[in-house]
Amino acid sequence: MRKKLIAAVLAGAVLAAALPVQTFAEEEKTFVYGTTGYSEEMGDAGLNPHDNYSGWSAVRYGVGETLFKYNDNMEIEPWLATDYEFIDDTTVKITLREGVKFSSGRTMDALAVKECLEDLIKVHDRAPSDLKIDRMEAEGMTLTIYTKEPCPAIINYLGDPYGAIIDMEYGIQGEGGSANVAGTGPYIAEEVSPTQIELVKNEDYWGGEVKVDRVTVKSFADGSALTAALQTGDIQGTYGLQYDNYALFENNPDYTIHSCATSRCFFGQFNFESEIMQDQNVRKAIEMGIDKEGFCSVIMQGRGLPASAAFPDSFSYGNQAVETVSYDPEGAKALLEESGWTDSDGDGYVDRDGEKLTVNWLTYPTRLEQPKLAEYAQATLKEIGIDVKVNNTSDHMTYAGNGDFDVYVSSLTTAPTGDPEYFFTSTVTGPKNYGGYQNEEVTELTEKLHQTFETEERSALAVELQQTILDDDAMFFVSHLNMGIVTKSDVTGIAAHPCDYYEITAELDVE
Amino acid sequence: MLKYTAKRLLLLIPVLVGITFLSFAMMRLAGGDAVTYMYENAGTAVSQEIIDEARKEYGLDQPFLVQYGRWFMGMASGDMGTSYVSGRDVYDTFIEKLPATILLMLSSVLLTMAVSVPLGILSAVRHNKWPDRLIRFFSFTGNSMPNFFAALVLMYFLSVKLGWLPVVTSENTILSLVLPTLTLTVSMASKYTRQVRAAVLEELNKDYVMGARARGVSGKVIIWKNVMKASMVTIITLLSLSVGSLLGGTTIVETIFMWDGVGKMAVDAITMRDYPIVQAYVAWMAVIYVLANLASDILCHYIDPRVRLGGERR
Amino acid sequence: MRRGAAATGKQKIKKDITKKKLIVFAALTLILLLAAAFARYLCPYDPNEQNLLLAQKPPGVEHWMGTDRFGRDMFSRVLAGSTISVYATLVLVAVVTVTGTLAGMICGWRGGVIDTVVMRVADLFLAFPSLVFALAVAGVLGGGIQNAVIALAVIGWPKFARLARGLTMAQKEAPYLMAARLAGSSTPKLLFKHILPNIAGPVLVTAVLDIGTMMMELAGLSFLGLGVQPPVAEWGSMINDGRSMLQIAPWMALAPGAAIFVTVMIFNLLGDTLRDYLDPRQRG
Repeated sequence: MRKKLIAAVLAGAVLAAALPVQTFAEEEKTFVYGTTGYSEEMGDAGLNPHDNYSGWSAVRYGVGETLFKYNDNMEIEPWLATDYEFIDDTTVKITLREGVKFSSGRTMDALAVKECLEDLIKVHDRAPSDLKIDRMEAEGMTLTIYTKEPCPAIINYLGDPYGAIIDMEYGIQGEGGSANVAGTGPYIAEEVSPTQIELVKNEDYWGGEVKVDRVTVKSFADGSALTAALQTGDIQGTYGLQYDNYALFENNPDYTIHSCATSRCFFGQFNFESEIMQDQNVRKAIEMGIDKEGFCSVIMQGRGLPASAAFPDSFSYGNQAVETVSYDPEGAKALLEESGWTDSDGDGYVDRDGEKLTVNWLTYPTRLEQPKLAEYAQATLKEIGIDVKVNNTSDHMTYAGNGDFDVYVSSLTTAPTGDPEYFFTSTVTGPKNYGGYQNEEVTELTEKLHQTFETEERSALAVELQQTILDDDAMFFVSHLNMGIVTKSDVTGIAAHPCDYYEITAELDVE
Repeated sequence: MLKYTAKRLLLLIPVLVGITFLSFAMMRLAGGDAVTYMYENAGTAVSQEIIDEARKEYGLDQPFLVQYGRWFMGMASGDMGTSYVSGRDVYDTFIEKLPATILLMLSSVLLTMAVSVPLGILSAVRHNKWPDRLIRFFSFTGNSMPNFFAALVLMYFLSVKLGWLPVVTSENTILSLVLPTLTLTVSMASKYTRQVRAAVLEELNKDYVMGARARGVSGKVIIWKNVMKASMVTIITLLSLSVGSLLGGTTIVETIFMWDGVGKMAVDAITMRDYPIVQAYVAWMAVIYVLANLASDILCHYIDPRVRLGGERR
Repeated sequence: MRRGAAATGKQKIKKDITKKKLIVFAALTLILLLAAAFARYLCPYDPNEQNLLLAQKPPGVEHWMGTDRFGRDMFSRVLAGSTISVYATLVLVAVVTVTGTLAGMICGWRGGVIDTVVMRVADLFLAFPSLVFALAVAGVLGGGIQNAVIALAVIGWPKFARLARGLTMAQKEAPYLMAARLAGSSTPKLLFKHILPNIAGPVLVTAVLDIGTMMMELAGLSFLGLGVQPPVAEWGSMINDGRSMLQIAPWMALAPGAAIFVTVMIFNLLGDTLRDYLDPRQRG
């Protein structure tokens, strides 16, 4: 009797030990993804879309989905919503997709969406002023939103990751960088921490079969470690590889590089309060003295694309729609001479009334490209006789705020929601206009853009605005960042997008 | 001795008040605050109203002394506050990261001692012979190498080329401890080997050693009984400094190997102007250094009673 | 008696060798300092001249140490970088060593209230994160390499103070000091003539070994605008810049790295020999 019992226990133990091995043998498809884009410092740790920038992570890693999404031209497409209609200037009616379920099991309907958006505008910092929602009505699968004032871009704003729809009945589990939510996406988060997310496939995904069973998202703080991890195979795909290291994976059959120009733009603002910068010839000369092509192809190793204006080519109101000066050192010299700047003492720098033309170039090191651009521009501007003093400091906000610069080079995601208005209201007429640029026409056009509903008309206004700014030589645009995802070559269904919101999707597969 | 220890510990209070006030003031002088840095990091622009709102929420719109007073009162009642950036409790965040820091400190100090004490003695005994030259060459190399350089070289050879160790693992602590420990040991052992060598040489030249030698006491006995004991003062003083700085975290190593310790947390907090975390960190550092120094003073006194404890009357 | 004579003879020879070595290493140091002072006249190319067509070329006949991402000659940049790297670091190390050692010696010698107060201040500075201090310095005094030196000097001295204090205390009761004290030597004389030479060894070794670390720390502050701004060459920043290129263009980090190595090595050899030479027991 006793022996039997022991035997049974032993057999059970053996079986139990063998079990995990068996499940392992079923060949679960796994994918480990390394990224430098997930951390508490960036404000996007955790998956709660109503907290800071965590919505980016919810959408990026396939947990949350928004009502509308942006296609590769950053135009609005239906996602969890199938259609929308403006009833009047302050009312929009949104029709929701049928048959969508939250990972909590609840079916998504207008009421659930209403609850989610109500929480969003209650707790989120940016959403209330973007969406201007007054109240909402839910009826079956139709959600009607009443805004406090005309809000033409509301549909675009609903595509911002903070608009990821989650089940508020399930609520927010955990806080901050460990917050988990019940979304509608192809993956469900099992474990969330400020440095790592464990995802499993959503068996009931409305968009069809999800191909990979398990995805691990690992946060990396160091680019070299990210590179090494991809080389050793510790991770199979990555976002945020340093452009210096692309050469290791280019022309390498074991790896695939997906890249796409984003609306992150490196641009400079001239300080209109600085006396030398008030001369348009000097501003234009600086613009003409910067070799954008060389910077993008050599210094950024092709990870940047030359910019003419604020938005990349893929946008209907992007680069190709505007006219600007190109690299022309001789032309720049001529302009400087026209304004009386010549090299009279033969030191290689132009001067006027015994004073050298010295430009104080403010930038900051968080974006590695920016000090490089400063150093490169310093050399090319020297060619036309301009002496550039670089002030590269993480405390740039103080200097910029005090107007302690001639040129301020920063970078910005110019169209986070595929809509142009944001760039103008923030950087041209808004708080980020550090250069004190003022033009009545620009202010009027921006106001007009703010009130226009028609998409094509908005695009036309965006083009007109950019052209006016360029004609005034108030800013210069150097480069758009070419965002890249590098994977092992057996990974498919992952692609780079102009907005970097969509990374892990149902299409992801490992062959 | 007890009285002395108590006295030193009591002195911790003014040091703590002083250092936290100093850091609070300095962070103020540095310019910028958590709100501006947070929005700027995400690379998007927000309106002034949102920024003002956030400032108000964190109490950053208050005068400096009020802010410090609030923080101090909180601290005194055991509440270290909440991080501006992560929104989490500072105490919890800190406690969560300490084990990793302590583990790395222990492993690298032990390995460093295991490597540098024997090598330093060997180097001193074989003064100006080839083992000494070889050891000195390596210690130069290790010492003039920045930490990140050693980290990347080790990572490249041990992980990428040889495939012995994973670059990152979150499952296996022992395995993931290897690379950070080795990296720290490279520079620390280089330094300590030289220090041990210098200290031992210094002692070997002393009259009593000469005398012992002349009396025919064997070399080994001299080294272990006398020289080592005397050299310990230098080693312990330096060691207390190292333990202190290691417990403060090793930002570069933590960043590269994703070792979740207090060093990276502190640097991130400082650059983000996350005052509550910075304050807690500074207080922690003060406690660590005071304790480490106290321990080293007492140890030195025990090993070599000629070393008087500070504050003692002559 | 004969044994003593033989020992003196041996010592004499050893002393001669030490002297010769000292001359050699002093000459090397002088060469280094001169090279650093006149670096800009020695560069084969303009260290700031960019040429994108030559970007990231490996070391070769024309560019001994290759070129960087802007196509600048690395050898010229390493040479040009020596001016700031060597001098700024030397000033920094000298300041922290001298002030730290002085403070430590006084504390170790006097003990009492002075010791307690100074050492608690030292604890405060030791414990204080240098980054916070650097930030404040950058905020108040602005950028520039001199302010980086100031920031690190204020933070750096306690380490030497602690070291010197411990060593001084160990020397205090030594018989030779008793003898000197009984002979009526003044306190400064006791400190500088008797104690200093005896504790100089470990202090010097620590100081010299710190040179390399200090170079990197100076460079580490450059993101705050403390330190040099482009296009000025400086070793620490060059290494940092080459860091992401280690697998692709290793010479970008190795060239300035080798320069730091050689510099530390030269000072180290000089320090060691100087210590041997000054060693009281070897004095004729």
